[in-house]
Amino acid sequence: MYWKYVIRRAIYGLMMYIVMIAVYSTLFNSVADKTMRAQIDEQVAQESRTWKNMTSDQRDLRLTERKAEKIKQYHLDDPLVARIFYRSLRTLTFDFGNSTTIKASSGDRAVINIIGEALPRTIVLFSTEVLVVTLLGVAMGLYAGRKPNGLFDRTVSTLTMITNGLPSWWLSMLAIMAFAYSVPIFPSGGLHVNPAPTGFQGFLDYLWHLSLPLLTLSFLGVWGTAYLVRNIVLSNLQEDFVMAARARGVSERRVLFGHTLRTSMPAIMTMAILGLFSSIAGNIIVEGIFNWPGIGNLYFEAVQQNDVPILMSTLAIETLLTMAGFIILDVIYGLLDPRIKVGGAA
Amino acid sequence: MNLKDSLDSLRGFWEEFSKVKTGLVGLAILIVFVLLGLFGQWLVPFPEATKHWLDITYWEDNPQAAPPVWTNWFSAKKGPPSLILTSPKVEKTSTDNGMVIQTSTFDFKDNYDLPPRDLIVRLGGNGPIPTKIAIFRPDGSGGEIWRDQLQLSPDQPTRVSLAHSAASGVIDFIRSANENLAFSMDPTLIKPVTLMFSQIDPDMVNSPKPMKGPYKIVVTQLVPSTDYKADIPTIGLSGYVAGILGTDKMKRDIFTGIILGIKWALIIGILTSVISVVVGVLLGIIAAYFGGAVDWVLTRLYELIYLLPVLPFLIVVSAIFKPSIWTLILLICLFFWTGSFKTVYSMALQIKEETFVEASKALGSGSWRIIVKHISPILLPYSFASMALSIPAIIVYEASVSLLGLGDSTIVSWGQILQAALTNGAVINNLWWWVIPPGLAIALMGMSFAFLGTALDKILHPKLKTR
Repeated sequence: MYWKYVIRRAIYGLMMYIVMIAVYSTLFNSVADKTMRAQIDEQVAQESRTWKNMTSDQRDLRLTERKAEKIKQYHLDDPLVARIFYRSLRTLTFDFGNSTTIKASSGDRAVINIIGEALPRTIVLFSTEVLVVTLLGVAMGLYAGRKPNGLFDRTVSTLTMITNGLPSWWLSMLAIMAFAYSVPIFPSGGLHVNPAPTGFQGFLDYLWHLSLPLLTLSFLGVWGTAYLVRNIVLSNLQEDFVMAARARGVSERRVLFGHTLRTSMPAIMTMAILGLFSSIAGNIIVEGIFNWPGIGNLYFEAVQQNDVPILMSTLAIETLLTMAGFIILDVIYGLLDPRIKVGGAA
Repeated sequence: MNLKDSLDSLRGFWEEFSKVKTGLVGLAILIVFVLLGLFGQWLVPFPEATKHWLDITYWEDNPQAAPPVWTNWFSAKKGPPSLILTSPKVEKTSTDNGMVIQTSTFDFKDNYDLPPRDLIVRLGGNGPIPTKIAIFRPDGSGGEIWRDQLQLSPDQPTRVSLAHSAASGVIDFIRSANENLAFSMDPTLIKPVTLMFSQIDPDMVNSPKPMKGPYKIVVTQLVPSTDYKADIPTIGLSGYVAGILGTDKMKRDIFTGIILGIKWALIIGILTSVISVVVGVLLGIIAAYFGGAVDWVLTRLYELIYLLPVLPFLIVVSAIFKPSIWTLILLICLFFWTGSFKTVYSMALQIKEETFVEASKALGSGSWRIIVKHISPILLPYSFASMALSIPAIIVYEASVSLLGLGDSTIVSWGQILQAALTNGAVINNLWWWVIPPGLAIALMGMSFAFLGTALDKILHPKLKTR
């Protein structure tokens, strides 16, 4: 029964993803066509340099022929609906083609390789952030929940409101100014020093470069998380089983950690996973500020160099990630909380 | 509901609201923002800045990347603020052959440890006017530092920047005091304005010592005939510090930019949240009221948009279509209506079964009349809190899009100021007065709406106050 539910969720998510990609393809159709044609021109021109022993007429003829072939290959002369269909199909099969200017570190221009290089770095940064934020947030939320309306509780809720409207990239700029230039304890950005050290030292260097973006993001995220944990815990503390436990003489400590925290776990897990994906989607610009060469930095570069294929493919990947996040969330939620109606409407 | 009832309920609401301290703080900040947004245009030192924000010539008299004036209070070395010297003592002497010599003498005291960045002499008038500029310093040294034949035009005053054109003149007056020192100076390398305000000393090029006291600048103009005219000149002293919040690399006054940005932040935040909440409430009611296929389509649409990554989508769409600010507002609305949809939907499901709806139906009201006249007024107030709470995120989204250089460049927004700061190396050069204020403004405005929204939320949905 549970597996049926998982499969149904996955299929539903996949369908949503297909619809979104179709929407993107429709929206960006004309600019994607233009980029594609420009790329074909470039490719054919490059090819023509290897052609030898030809008169200029032959060469021109061959050139137009090759172009026509390529245009046919990429369905660029098909009617609008067919173009959108083929483009969606290519995106769905991860056939993103080549970028216009941005290169992978190997010099490769295949979009899939460029994204493949950037994505793990993004995941490392943001999953450590969410780990830190969740652990700290749970501790702080519990502490705030011990005394509602106490000093710490009010601090948490006020800072939640303040950090809510704080652009993370602005705080990053401040962090760099303060801790990379005024008091230089952290590097101003990048992935490693040049040349990159290896072995254990390389690992330390990596951590050192990770720390400032990590600290900035964690500082921003932790208050909201603590506030949410506090709310979850408080609402669970009003349940009957807590009263029953207290009546049995269970210590307040055990009530909090044994009973309340345990029943709050599904909600906290949800929050952590949601936090991961919303952080990746919402704080991508931070990477650009710290020069952390992940997906967010890729957006920065692609915007500056107007690299349309990179922009569109990154958006597709980011959408896929979000979608996967929600499916995983549903699946975990069903696993952690058996009360969730399995087989209910999607 | 008549007027008295509404007044009563308003009073009751205010009584509850005034108990929430953070809500009052938020409201107070917001009122200040709204007043500044409405009237700030006339309070700023550069009232024409809205039209001229990107116009380099409008700002040319300001110093470049100058820190705020009040930094002087905290620094050991005080720098002069920017000021414009007007109304000099003017003497006119006529010569026999109909020429007039006009001498304008500017007196001012320099009490600062750091020299000004530039002295810009502005000369208006008409015709070919031979002009010379001389400086007389507290220690008695000085002399002519610049001379040229200027072709003045009545349309625009001619500007003479002494930092760029007085090098050899400055060396000349130093020569009369210390010939060897003057000999060692390279006119292309020295900073003439700095030397003009420093003691004559063998080390003055590398570590100039300030000379405080009364200075005199004399502008002498020769008007060849009555056909021509020389206006009384003014001198812009481009200071070491400038304005309440300093200037940026394009010489723009940052305080002016911040004040002008308030209007746009308010417009973007409020307009977007009002449109999205109204749309969200209406769609929520429609989905609940009609049910069936309408419900299915709207719920799927809701899920689709809920799952879209907002910021990446906004960035890519802005990068490809370069939208104006109004289009961007609509684009953000596309995402934010989902915020109130689900709650309204579940509440409307209950309300639609209430007797007054049935009564209205029995009286022959159409569906739209019931939705707009009967159900929406009940549910809209519940959305005020979410309206206020969504504004901080909206403002941050606009700023984020602007930060990447994808915003509407015809407006002055805080995001645009930060984008200019980022691309011009304000972070690396530690120009903190360019980076901190716009972000602080975003944070403060976000905070005021968040405080307000949370207070409204507490009043409208009381819960979780105790353990």
